[in-house]
Amino acid sequence: MKRSLLALAIFAIALGGAAAQGKTVTVLFYSPELTQQYDDMAAEYQKESGNKLDLTVLQADYPTVLRARLNSGDIPDVFMSSAYADNDTYKDYVYDLSNEPFIKDMVPTALTGVTVNGRVIGYPFLVQSHSFIYNKKVFRDAGITKLPTTLKELEAVCVQLQSKGIQPFATGFKEWWVLPQTAWQALAPLPASYKGDYSTFVADLNSGKLKFKNIKEMGQVFDLLDLIKKYGGNKPMESDFNDQCASLATGKVAMIHQGNWAEDTIMKTNPNAEIGYLVGPVGNEAAKSGIMFDSNQTIRVAKDGKNRQAALDWLNWLTTSAYGKAWIPTMIKQMSPIKGAVAPAAQLAKETSAMIAKGVPSYSWYYQRFPSGLEQGLGIVLQGYCAGQTDRARTLDALDQTYAKIAKAAD
Amino acid sequence: MTRAPRLGWLSAILFALAIVYLYPLFLVVINSFKGFAEIMANVIALPSAPTLDNFANAFKRMEYPRLFLNTLIATLVGTTGVVLLSSVAGHKLSRTKTRLSWIVFIFLVAPMMIPFHSFMIGLVKVAKSLHLTNSVWGLGVLYWGLGVPLATFMFHGFVKTIPTELDESAIIDGCGPLRKFFLVIFPLLKPVTVSVIVLNAMWMWNDFLLPLLVLSGNKQAMTLQLAAYNFFGQYKVEWNYAMAGVLLTLLPAIVFYLALQRQIIEGMVAGAVKS
Amino acid sequence: MTVLGKRIARGVEFAALTLPAVAAIVVVVMVPFGMSVVNSFMKWNGLDKKPVFIGLANYVELFTDDPNLIAALIFTLFFTVAMVVLTNVIALLLALALNQPLRGRNLLRAAFYVPNIISLIVIGYIWRFIFSKGFDSMYAATGFAPLNLSWLGDPKLAFASTVFVSVWQAVGFYLVIYIAGLQTIPYDIVEAATLDGAGPIRRFFDVTLPLLMPSVTVAVFYSLSNALKTFDVIFSLTYGGPGTATTSIALDIYKTAFSDSRFGYGMAKSVVLFLLILVVGLLQIGFFKKREVES
Repeated sequence: MKRSLLALAIFAIALGGAAAQGKTVTVLFYSPELTQQYDDMAAEYQKESGNKLDLTVLQADYPTVLRARLNSGDIPDVFMSSAYADNDTYKDYVYDLSNEPFIKDMVPTALTGVTVNGRVIGYPFLVQSHSFIYNKKVFRDAGITKLPTTLKELEAVCVQLQSKGIQPFATGFKEWWVLPQTAWQALAPLPASYKGDYSTFVADLNSGKLKFKNIKEMGQVFDLLDLIKKYGGNKPMESDFNDQCASLATGKVAMIHQGNWAEDTIMKTNPNAEIGYLVGPVGNEAAKSGIMFDSNQTIRVAKDGKNRQAALDWLNWLTTSAYGKAWIPTMIKQMSPIKGAVAPAAQLAKETSAMIAKGVPSYSWYYQRFPSGLEQGLGIVLQGYCAGQTDRARTLDALDQTYAKIAKAAD
Repeated sequence: MTRAPRLGWLSAILFALAIVYLYPLFLVVINSFKGFAEIMANVIALPSAPTLDNFANAFKRMEYPRLFLNTLIATLVGTTGVVLLSSVAGHKLSRTKTRLSWIVFIFLVAPMMIPFHSFMIGLVKVAKSLHLTNSVWGLGVLYWGLGVPLATFMFHGFVKTIPTELDESAIIDGCGPLRKFFLVIFPLLKPVTVSVIVLNAMWMWNDFLLPLLVLSGNKQAMTLQLAAYNFFGQYKVEWNYAMAGVLLTLLPAIVFYLALQRQIIEGMVAGAVKS
Repeated sequence: MTVLGKRIARGVEFAALTLPAVAAIVVVVMVPFGMSVVNSFMKWNGLDKKPVFIGLANYVELFTDDPNLIAALIFTLFFTVAMVVLTNVIALLLALALNQPLRGRNLLRAAFYVPNIISLIVIGYIWRFIFSKGFDSMYAATGFAPLNLSWLGDPKLAFASTVFVSVWQAVGFYLVIYIAGLQTIPYDIVEAATLDGAGPIRRFFDVTLPLLMPSVTVAVFYSLSNALKTFDVIFSLTYGGPGTATTSIALDIYKTAFSDSRFGYGMAKSVVLFLLILVVGLLQIGFFKKREVES
């Protein structure tokens, strides 16, 4: 009896000792395609610091779960969101990182999306690009040597591909989110009067001073969508992300509109696929056509999280340690917002850097500045246009109506 | 009167119909034996080199044994509570023909008409304050409130098929109301009870949204559906594991359903009425 | 015992037996829904710590200035009629067939039930493949024209597709209810009718169906409220698309509350949806209960 009591006591002390050591930071992330990388990083962090990351990774319904938890008081120490408009959505819950030591190690342009009134309220996670991805082998086999930079050239390429029996596009139009990323790229240089000033552009849309139906460049957007649909096979509205990746990887189609996050799925389908970026046409102005490049996926530290300091310690490690700096480029194989990070060994990332170095226009993801909810709201209106539910005039009205409602509700 | 030939033909039609009906499930099965690239290339083709790798991997990644137990606990606690609460209340309400009874009945049944999304955020808040979150036992308790409406409706209706003489005969025996109910009436409700068990156990086993909302803070408490769902990302669906995971989650439910089917004994009420 | 004493005793017994169920409903549904009703009078994005009280503004907006909601309402009404009729008729026919002494009957019952327990995400993905890629292959093989139509991409055809998949998924559930109901019909009553010379159709309408009314009431009521609330199948099959062609009221509410970040407005819409279902449901129960026969 005495011996077992002793054993119990020793056991309890050992247990207590172990528990007192490391702190646990609760983390709620999305992008479950990166679960393996998240887990490996957490394991490494625990080895190096003794602190534990309690990771929960979700996808669809992420916003719903996050809302439910924030509302009920079950606040995760660290969570994830978009940049720009989400700064406002989560403003009551995020911690100001401006004075943290690791912020100076971030590339300044990556911080634009998370800075509000001079305060940095998010930690940029990934730097990503999107545009038209093309299958190099398919282009070669079809005899296409010059990459298109205008709408007319893109159409000519489509005609040429079709004459060789290849479907030019897998539209992806079944996913509402493919519509905004495709459409807004065609508007990226903005109407001339704005001179590329996205803040004012969005502010004017918010106040109602500017309406989509008065932006004549919307015509280019519709022209581009019409083109993709025309050359997108016989069931263009049924093509989803999987269809896009599978079809491009196997060479069934020549082009898709996607981003560097698609590379993983494409390469897993066909490890020998050779892919690259085409610029997104802005009407017929070749000089303005470019790619979309920004840091949008953002890590946020909860202001009221129980282990806030431990969360900050973790971010510091992620930014300054050798493993942390290499994590995004070498393990996630995407571009990192940390200064001096190496370039990832991924085809689209390489193309992005090369194009930027060559002076190809790279536009920020300005459409993330639209009030929260509009990415989907406007995307669905555009999807309705592509499905033939509304004509251009009615679509423009619907865009304006949807924008007005959500902007009003957000202010 | 011979019925065999006519039934043979009916049987054949039904089997043909069932095969067509299950074609999507057939696709899930054949794809669970293929590798990722092969699935992406052609969903409809039979696997060229069937492999059990997906099942092994999914089993491991889903931490199957532990999550199986979790899901089982939530389902058992939930189903048992629903059956007990609803049978007792449904019977009492059906036998009591007063205005109050009708009002209480509507009150119990009305939640069926409230879309879950419209109160789920509030539910999470209430659950948290009652310490029912992040626990599969708590989840089971929450299920009581969600399963009672339909179950009460079903019990309420079927109690009508049991003659009131039986209720009265039990009173003469000197039983208290609960004892009377469970010893005399409850056994007669067997077909309905089995249906209620089947329907509730099945949806609780497969439920996704409520577990997602209340268990997300505790990885130890995850259910099988949540784990299977993690194979479906926006940018990467790990089809091979997803299909295997779906089957691993589905199989226990099918086995349970088949086992319960044998419990429905026909003519039970007919026998009771006769005597 | 005095008359009053007996009354009190009966009242206490009533309360004791029904209270557990009532308590469960209050805690899990009524209180949370009450919170949502309060939120319906607020301008709130679901996150801000200080919602703003705006009185009836949300309700005014939804009745006067929401074309998406009107479209969703029309879709939902047509969908509900199609769904309730098809699901119940098919489930009842199958239940009658599967109530006969057939070989492999349990297996057949399970076969038709299984779609009801497959994860809806999977159902969405698989049917998407079947409608686009599957149909492509079958069309190439057979040349059967309807296979070449865009069943999920054409706004008009998408309606039929969502009804089809929803019915496919739901029938098994109502099959269970109808089979249980058929079990409670005393065989001797049916036999008596047969001996009286009634053919199968007359037997069904004069004997079986009236005794089956409790099941029919439950099934129709449940399928009616489920159809009005339809969300899951549409969410995974089309996400309400293309555009808003297949958006049901429940999906519109979800998008409003969680995607547009207009939580208060979304709650106002759900209160109205609930009232709609309540009115339709009560009318239906009242109508059917009159036709139930106690044995």
